[in-house]
This record gives sequence, structure tokens and C-alpha cells, in this order.
Amino acid sequence: MRRAKWTPYLLLVPSLFYLALFFLYPMTQAFGLAFSRETQTLSLRAEPVESAATTGALELQTEVVVLDRQQLDETLPNGGTRPSFWYLIQGTDLAGETVEGWASQRSIFIENRRTSETARVTGGEATREWTFEHVNRMLTDFRFSSAISTTLLLMVLIIPAQFVLAIIMALVLQSQVRGSSMFLYIYAIPLGISDLVAGILWFAIFTQRGFLNSLMVSAGLIDLPFIFIRAENISWMISIIVLAEIWRATSIVMIIVVSGLQAIPKDYLEAGEVFGASMWQRLRHIILPLLKPSLQVALILRTILAFQVFAVVIAITGGDILTVLSNETFRWYDPARFNNPSVAAVYAGFIMIVSLAISLFYMRAVRSQDEATKSAT
Amino acid sequence: MAEIVIENAVKKFGKFTAIDNVSLTVHEHEFLVLLGPSGCGKTTLLRAIAGLGMLDSGRIIIGGKDVTYLAPRERGISMVFQNYAIFPHMKVFDNIAFGLKMQKAPKAQIQERVENAAKLLHIETMLDRFPSQMSGGQRQRIAVARAIAVESGIVLMDEPLSNLDALLRLEMRAELKTLLKRLGVTTIYVTHDQIEAMSMGDRIAVMRNGKVLQLDQPTKVYDLPVDQFVGGFIGTPPMNFLHGHVHQNGAGYVVRLGDFSLTPPQDVHPALAQQRDKPVIIGIRAECMEPMKTASPDAVPVTIDVVEPLGAQNLLTARIGQDTIKVSTHPDFTVSAGETIWLRFPENKVRYMDADTGRALAAETEKALA
Amino acid sequence: MSAETFSNAPVSVAQAQAWDAQRRRARIQLRLRRAGVYVVAVALAVWILLPIWLIANMAFSTPQDVRAFPKSFFPNPISLESISFFLNAQGIIPSTGNSIFVAIVTVVLSTILAVPAGYAIARYVFRGRDAIRLVMLSVRAFPIVVLAVPLAVIFLQLGIFDQPFTLALMHTALTLPTTILVISSVFASVPFEFEEAAQVFGCTPLQAFFQVVLPLALPGIAASAILTFVLSWNEVFAAILLTLSNRTLPAHILYNLDKSSDPFKFASAFVMLVPSLIFIFFIRRYLFNMWGQINK
Ligand SMILES: Nc1ncnc2c1ncn2[C@@H]1O[C@H](COP(=O)(O)OP(=O)(O)OP(=O)(O)O)[C@@H](O)[C@H]1O
Ligand SMILES: [Mg+2]
Repeated sequence: MRRAKWTPYLLLVPSLFYLALFFLYPMTQAFGLAFSRETQTLSLRAEPVESAATTGALELQTEVVVLDRQQLDETLPNGGTRPSFWYLIQGTDLAGETVEGWASQRSIFIENRRTSETARVTGGEATREWTFEHVNRMLTDFRFSSAISTTLLLMVLIIPAQFVLAIIMALVLQSQVRGSSMFLYIYAIPLGISDLVAGILWFAIFTQRGFLNSLMVSAGLIDLPFIFIRAENISWMISIIVLAEIWRATSIVMIIVVSGLQAIPKDYLEAGEVFGASMWQRLRHIILPLLKPSLQVALILRTILAFQVFAVVIAITGGDILTVLSNETFRWYDPARFNNPSVAAVYAGFIMIVSLAISLFYMRAVRSQDEATKSAT
Repeated sequence: MAEIVIENAVKKFGKFTAIDNVSLTVHEHEFLVLLGPSGCGKTTLLRAIAGLGMLDSGRIIIGGKDVTYLAPRERGISMVFQNYAIFPHMKVFDNIAFGLKMQKAPKAQIQERVENAAKLLHIETMLDRFPSQMSGGQRQRIAVARAIAVESGIVLMDEPLSNLDALLRLEMRAELKTLLKRLGVTTIYVTHDQIEAMSMGDRIAVMRNGKVLQLDQPTKVYDLPVDQFVGGFIGTPPMNFLHGHVHQNGAGYVVRLGDFSLTPPQDVHPALAQQRDKPVIIGIRAECMEPMKTASPDAVPVTIDVVEPLGAQNLLTARIGQDTIKVSTHPDFTVSAGETIWLRFPENKVRYMDADTGRALAAETEKALA
Repeated sequence: MSAETFSNAPVSVAQAQAWDAQRRRARIQLRLRRAGVYVVAVALAVWILLPIWLIANMAFSTPQDVRAFPKSFFPNPISLESISFFLNAQGIIPSTGNSIFVAIVTVVLSTILAVPAGYAIARYVFRGRDAIRLVMLSVRAFPIVVLAVPLAVIFLQLGIFDQPFTLALMHTALTLPTTILVISSVFASVPFEFEEAAQVFGCTPLQAFFQVVLPLALPGIAASAILTFVLSWNEVFAAILLTLSNRTLPAHILYNLDKSSDPFKFASAFVMLVPSLIFIFFIRRYLFNMWGQINK
């Protein structure tokens, strides 16, 4: 059937087109935003006509002196005419040089068309020029390095703990304890919980008048509530974010690990048992090696997601004392604050490059490790 | 008319040829079995007939109509799938009625035909159930009922019994055969179980590597295999193959097996003439030899290695020169390992085959293939 | 096995006692191990459930109790005051409406797009199939941050900024790769034989799809739709960038978080959490279908 060859492509086209529209196009736009600047300049003409050669260019808002003017008659669609002025103006361009040339009345603001001696450039053509200005702006921003280090620190603290916890959960579920389907549901609950909600949940526990302090004060351990969340207590704030993220995002790792475990044929484990491997030995020598592909997928996924950590941080710390990359992106973009999408785009690009690089690094690391074990045997 | 004609069918998967220029005709009301080892292309051929995968070249004609490029539903066939493909979201009744509903048959007719089909397969009490509540054997019955309910006259079956346990398989085998014969449907039945093939088929098409090697009645395929492969594939134990040598003996030819000479029937002599002084394969079935405890000039002495008492017969494994031979004997024929016995080879039970190609050297070979 | 093995060979009393003791020890060990696993299982469950309990507790306490210190671990008295205070706060009802609208549009759009695509990936072998799967896998974790900024600018230029509908377009893009993968695994779990059987018995390919494949895939597709709904309902970064006055619920809450009182915050967390809890319950059977298959 000839037609069958086209069917899959036909079925895929809408989705692929949609994804291209919403991934590729914005990416090119982001690139433009990050690396270019748009300026409007007015080209001055040698003669008082649009088609004449340019003699120089003036930036918007430049103050100019009017040296000469010329009144032309513009023909209107209805056949009548109306006066239209061209001015010979002189001003200082971006390079600091004095230039002069003709400009039409539409491109300048002039108090009185017939008498004023000065004017201001108000129109021109948009030109786009490449610049590292926005990149520099990000790099020199004093919060940039703290955003990176906090993001990375969170990643380093959260991911290993998540993996250990996820593997424990998976093994518990795999051991078929009574009610394991209920436990699976419970462990999976955080899968549907947003990082904003998770942040508020853990904020409720650690805030000054929160549950932890309530417990400690009621138990008589301390007299006055301890203030975990304050500027002098960065390490506590980090810890709370780490807890919240472990609490929230371990589920996804758990699900990946469990399905990886289910894919391991029971024979392997039983063989291990028959040959006298203890629980720990089975974990170390059979389960983990066979689980490696799943773990790798989970690791990459978690890493990329770790760079997007956002609402938890804001919910717990307010986002001012402690900042992360995505928060900086938002602050730069936010019309109510810096209102600079270009720098925000630089941040976004930075996040993408770093998460991509780390994912590639993982894949390389796992592969070279594979090759090492292969050549060793 | 429900005759199926396949002409020069070729099907390729990439560079691999799964069906290699197959031509065959299935007569009306015939039960044809496609038999062959795993991967030989049986399923591929059956699916091509069903229209579930187009041929690369060749034609398929069903009931005189060229259906090569038609969709499955336009071919007037029905099918029993290997895993039954009973729709789990439909009750048994709706499953059996599916084909009729698709044809927009009137309600009364659907009701009647479904009930008939269900009765024939003894599942009339289960029409209200969902397939998930039924055993493998019962699902198999639904699949068959669905196939016969449409009364298309042609039923294709791909190893329909392979998922059943041995006992049930035996039972269903007999039941299916009588049922399909009674209904008079043309059946193509795929299996790699040669006993199933022997017991059910009116004719058997033995396939290998995408080719049909032999298409014949079961007894013919068994007694007169066209080549070493067919002989070896069909029968338990498989046909014995011994290495002999052709010698001229006056006007005729003899085949020497060590010191012993076999005299082939006259019609093989022309073929043997071409093989003069060359090695030749002697094929003989285990139960076709006459074992004797005393020497005789027309019998070969062999040394017994193993004796397997199988109840209905004794299976002996013996050595004859370089070759091993299996002999099945009456259970009363008591011998033990190490003894020597003498075997007589009845002239009409011996097949001679080309040592290089494995093809039988006989006149009827050509006939069988035609 | 010969009969001798089971005969009553004389066994000394001491030996019998030793065997007995050994068996008892082994049994106790087994029980202990089971109990150990159970304790771990329960501890992990408590770890997950406790914060949820506490926030529910807060949501059902009076605002006075929420502000009290030390706090009670049980709502006493149970009151809907905090929740009603939250729901009646300015902007909550409209932003909840926006959230639901965005989520529903996202679900509809991404399902409509993903069903054919998922079917193609599950059923056909074609050039570029693996490449497409790989693309889906990799863009699934694509940083939202990266897309949200340029899209916001594009939408501004196009004059469709600050509209829930455009946010839904963005959410569709974010969830589409996952939805396609999930739906393709759902279709892959419907045996192809069913479809062939339907065709043999008189269906056109399209009829076979609607009569046989779709009914069987429907629960899975519904689960995927629910997952999509939850993803969209929870998403906050794109929401906060792409909307200004028409915020979704999480975006509205996040943006006003520093001005919010504790009762408001806690009630909001509870309200945002409940749909997720319910939905995850309904799709729990499909979780592996959704995330498990990414290993392949
Ligand atoms: N879709 C396909 N793509 C590539 N090769 C295929 C495909 N289907 C079948 N083949 C190959 O074609 C050959 C014949 O396959 P087929 O399924 O017809 O065998 P079969 O005789 O039915 O075997 P079995 O008894 O195991 O069912 C096999 O070698 C198989 O590997
Ligand atoms: Mg087959």
C-alpha cells in the first residue's frame, strides 16, 4: 500500500509543526533578544528627497540645529496639495562626529515649522546590531554568581538524596509488603504537587510560628521559637528548600526506578539468591548495575529540572535573600521590576546551555564507564 | 466458489525475501496446511492472503477475483489469529457478531448466526460474558466461532492451537477438523507441528526459506518426501539418511551400503545413471525396516547402541558404517545394546537422494512439485 | 526421589531439637525482616503524608488558630473560615477560573495533537521514527524558563499577551512531548492483532481504529489527559511571565505571596493541592505507563 508510507508522517505533522513553532521559533527569538540591540537612527539625505544618498545617521532624541528648510508641495490622493517641509539639520552622531543632511518633517520634532532654529530627532529606521551588552550585564550582576552557586548547591544536595530515597521506596514497594499498592499511591502523591505548594507546605513547618517550633516549644525543648528563615541563616534556608525538593520530586525518580526494577527479570534476583548473595550484595551487584539505564534517565531528567527550581525558593525564602537562576530570569523580565527581557533571555540561554552540558557530561561519563568495564573483562 | 490461487508471490522485508516466488492453489472445501520450521514464511504468506501486508509481486486470486490489491475486508475471508485477538471490551456475543455487524447484517440474522456458531463450539451459554472471564480454550472457541459466523467460505488460521495445553490441543484438533469439514469451508491452516499437519490436512504445503518445497497429501509427504529436508522435518523420529554409493551392475544399478547392495526400483535407474560412482543418500523411515535376529543375505547387519522402550514400540538406535540409524520395532522384539541385528530394506520404502542437493531421485518428485 | 529419603530414619532427640530451634530462628528472622520493611514503608508514608496533613489541618482551622502559637496538630474547632476567606479574597475566583480554562484548553489541544502522533509512533515503522522519539524524550524536560521569555516577547509583539488562551498554547507545547510518548505507549499496549482482526472482519482502517483501538486506549488516554491537566494546573513560571492581569491561580498566589497572610497562604496551598491528590489517585495505575516507558 503506497499510502501507508505517508500515513505516519501525516499523523505526525501537526504535532511536529506545533513543536517547531513553539520551540524552534522562540529559541531563535531568544537568541536575537540575548545578543542584539535594536536602535532607531535617522538617515540624513544629501538632497531633500527620500531616495537621495545618505550623508550620515543620527540617533533618536538627538538635538539638532536647523540650517536650512525647504517647502515642497505634497500631492494628496484627492488631487489637492499641502505644504511639506524638508530641513537641513546638523547634529552629533554616535561616533561623536558632526554630520549634516536633509530630513523630512516627519522624522523630527520642531516647534515651529517655519521659524524654529532647533529640533529633535523623533523618527528613523530601526536597525538591529549585535552586542554582548546583555551578556555582560548578566555576568557583572552581583546576584549572578550567587544565583549560580545556590542553584548548583541545591542540585548537589538534592539529587543524591533523592536517588537514595527513591531506591529505598522502590525496593520497599518491590518487596510486596501488604498494602503495597496503597504505599505506591502515597509515594506517588507528590508527583501531582507543584513546587509552589510544596514550598508553602514546608514553609508552614519551618516558619517562626510553624509546626516545628510549636512542637519544640510544647515539648519544652526550647523556650522561644527559633527563627529558621532569616538572612543570617542561609544554611537553614538551603536545608528547608532541600527538604521540600526531596519531598516533592523524589516520586518521579521512584516511578522511574520502580519501572526499571520491574523490567529486571525475576530470574536474575533469584539466581543471586540461590548463589548466596545477601540482600545488600544483590542490590550492589545485580540490581544497581541492571538499573543503570533507568537511573541515568532519571538523573538527566532531575538535573534539567533542578535548573528550573523556582517557586519553592520564593515560597520559602521570598526570593530576595536567596536567589536562583530562574528567579533571576523572572526578575529581569518582570515589567514591575527590571523590565529587561534581553537580560532575561541571556539567563534563559545560560540555563539551557548549562543543563545541556551537564546532561551530555553524564551521558559521556556513563558511556566511558561502560567502556572501561567492558575492556576490563 | 471459494478457491484460492496464489501466483508467483514474492514478499520482501528490506533485502530479506520472506516469500520466494510461491505459487499454489487451494481448492474449494479443502483443508490445506502450511507447515514449516519457524521463520520460513508461513505467517507472512497467510497474512498476504488475508491482505494484512501487500505482496511485492505476484497475484492472489480468491474465488476467481484478483484480490492482490484489495483491503482485507474486501476479500471475503475470515481468520483465526494466533493470540485469538478477541476484543476485550466486547462481550462474547458482540465478538462473534463483529464481522456480521460490520457487514450491517439484519439483527435477526446476526442473532441466529451467532447462536449457531456458538452452539457449534459449545459456548452458547457464555455469550453474555466478557472474554477476560474465560479460559484460553474458551477464547479459542470464540475466535473460531467469530471466524465461522461470517460464513465467508474461507477461514485462515495461524497456529490457532499453539496456545493451548497438550490435551486440549488434541481435543480441539479433532473437533476443528470435523467442524470445518462439515461446514465445507476452505481452510488454510498454519502450523509448525507436523503431527497436527498430518492429522488435519487434506494436503500439506511444506515450506522452507520462503519456498514451498512439497505440496501433497499427508501420506505422500510422509512416504515420498521430495528431499532430505522434508523427510527430516516430518515424522518422529525423522527419516534416516544413510550414505551409499552408486554402482553399475550390468544393465542396471545398485547402491552399495558398505558391503551390502540395495537394488533400487526400475524407475529410479535413469536418475541413478547420472550419479554413477558417486555418493547417494538413502532415506528410510524407522518403521519401514524389517529387523531380524538372524543373518540373511538380503539384510544388513547393524550394531545396537541404545534401546528405548516406548510402550507401543521399541526404538533402537544402531550403527551402520559411519551412520546412525533409528529403527522402530515391535515391543516384543527384545534386544539389548551391543547386540547385532539384521535389517531388511523393502524396495518400495527406500528413497534415494542426491548427496549434493538432497533432492529425491525419483520420477514422482517431478509430479509432486507440479 | 526414592522412598528412602522420607523413611523414618532414627533421628536423635538432640538433633531434632537443634533442627527445631533452627527453624524457629529462621522464622523469627523472616518475620523481623518483614516487619522491618513494613516499618520503613510506613515511615516513608508518614514522611509524605505529614506535610499534607499539616496543611489540611491549617486549612480547616480558624484564622485565629492558624496564627496561634504553638500551633495545634489537629483542627480544633474544624472551620471553613480560612478557606472561605481565601476563596473570597480578591482575584482568587477569576484566577481559579483562568487556571481551569487554561488547563482544559491545554488538555484538549494536546490530546487532539498527540493522539494521531502517538498512534503513528506506536504503529508504524518509518524512517525517522527513532529520531522523533528521541526529540520527544529530550524536549520533554526542556527548560520552561528558556521558552517563556521569548514567547512572552513574541506574544507581546503579536498583541496576544496576557490572555489565558495563549498561556494554554504555551502549556500545550510544554506537555505535548510527554503526552505523545504516553499516548503512544497506550496504543502500543493495544495488540496490533486486534486491529488486523477488525479489518479482516470488515472494518476500514479508520473504523478499526474507532471500533477497537480507541475504546481500549480510552482509559489510558484519559489518564494522560489528567496528567496534562495536573501539569498545566501546577505550572507557574510560564504562567507568571505570560500573564499580567489575567493570572492563573498559582501565578496569582506566587506573585502576591509576600503580601499574603498565613491563613491565606495555607488555604491556598490546600486548594491547589486537592485536585492533584484526586487526579493522581485516578491515574495511579498508569503512572508507570507514563514515566516507566522512558527507559526504553
Ligand atoms: N515485519 C517484518 N519485518 C522484517 N522481517 C520480517 C517481518 N515479519 C517477518 N519477518 C521475517 O520473515 C521471515 C518469515 O516470518 P514468518 O513470521 O512468516 O515466519 P513463520 O513461518 O510464521 O514462523 P513461526 O513458525 O515462528 O511463526 C522470518 O525470518 C522473519 O524474521
Ligand atoms: Mg508464524
